[in-house]
Amino acid sequence: MAILEVSGLCKDYPAFHLNNVSFTLEKGRIMGFIGRNGAGKTTTLKSILNIVHPSAGQIRFFGMDLLPHEDEIKQRIGYAGGAVDFYKRKKIRKLIEVTKTFYPNWDEAACRQWMEIFALDENKTPAQLSEGMKVKLALTLALSHHAELLILDEPTSGLDPVSREELLEAFTFLKDRGVTILFSTHITSDLEKCADDITYIAGGRLIASEPMTAFMERGAAEGRGDTLENIMVSYEKRSIHDFAAEVTI
Amino acid sequence: MSKLFHKEISLCTQAVTWGLLAAVLLTLIPGYPILVGTFLVCLGIFHSFQYTNESNDILYSVLLPVRKRDVVRAKYVKVLLFEGIAFVITAVLTVIRMTLMADAGPYVTNPMMNATPYFLACVLLVFTAFNVLFVGGFFKTAWKVGMPFLRFGIAAFLLVAIAEVLHHIPGLTFLNEPGGAWLELQLVMLVLAALIFAAATWISCKVSIKRFEKIDL
Repeated sequence: MAILEVSGLCKDYPAFHLNNVSFTLEKGRIMGFIGRNGAGKTTTLKSILNIVHPSAGQIRFFGMDLLPHEDEIKQRIGYAGGAVDFYKRKKIRKLIEVTKTFYPNWDEAACRQWMEIFALDENKTPAQLSEGMKVKLALTLALSHHAELLILDEPTSGLDPVSREELLEAFTFLKDRGVTILFSTHITSDLEKCADDITYIAGGRLIASEPMTAFMERGAAEGRGDTLENIMVSYEKRSIHDFAAEVTI
Repeated sequence: MSKLFHKEISLCTQAVTWGLLAAVLLTLIPGYPILVGTFLVCLGIFHSFQYTNESNDILYSVLLPVRKRDVVRAKYVKVLLFEGIAFVITAVLTVIRMTLMADAGPYVTNPMMNATPYFLACVLLVFTAFNVLFVGGFFKTAWKVGMPFLRFGIAAFLLVAIAEVLHHIPGLTFLNEPGGAWLELQLVMLVLAALIFAAATWISCKVSIKRFEKIDL
């Protein structure tokens, strides 16, 4: 069952164009959304969530169009744009107290459980948390209303190796419980540990969207390399000599 | 909507916003441009909007399972709550000045604007300017607060100046009469100001909703 279907997504900015991005995310899978800095990952995720307005394209969650069912869809998804960066001076307890009023299916026991797993202290403020702990707080808020789909924008950026490992472990744990995850990153080693599918964009264009194994096999067959990093570098790298030839240094 | 309003009060409203409601007590000070108290109430509400920006409240709000238009409405309802509280207290103080303290020396010889229904009408016009120029201006971008507040500040300064000058002009001295034969006319002016306030705020809210739906956050 398709949890998220994105087709023909376009977004035009004066200096950047997201061009015809399409992919489908099936239930219970982890999709890594990769691309170098500025490739359009955040623009795509924000368009999917109607935070920015796409110039064209269709977005469907759980078989429903986004705009007419925005409230209902947002009840069933959780978004974390990296670390929590709202209400940094308010206590976590207060943030939870307000946030939970918006979700009829808020599970206080699950919230407590995730707070304990992530070692979050409700008497602290987000400003007092490390980057990794802020990501964990964002995940706790998303998971406490039993989000069926987590959309995470570079959740592992800025985390130390241990926190990254813990977070990736949490993704696998959630996947085993039927949660679907779409997360963007440019840290390819994270994906090799947990992703089932890869959607890869470069310069606002879709390069690939397929199962991880198929992507890796194709990359190897095309002689791009045998790791995600090598394949990505092979697609993206332009030598200084190429630039020099274009701009006449 | 009620949940968003609860969020507005719990997370977005700063102590200074509540504290500056006390500025309505300036209504009791003779020899002072009492309409400035209304400006200070608006300054307190402005601080909440500034805090809203610092806290990334708009992004937090649109990610909640709510309609975008309700995010705008909740902000307007919060503004109306503070304006309503300020207006009711100001009205009570005005009635006290016009009745129990009508013969107090400093008020009888007061060269500045008296607390009258005309003053209350001016209070509503300052709030109208705030709702249209500041709140409406904020929702052009949902993050810029400086320029909209500057526009409101200029408008408020002009309103205070004009309101203070008008009652010194021959033929318009009735505007400063605390009661008597001119009370009915002043009450008509108050009703007119209330209608302008309601209509302008409603239109401002509608326009803000349309703008907010189109903004890329």
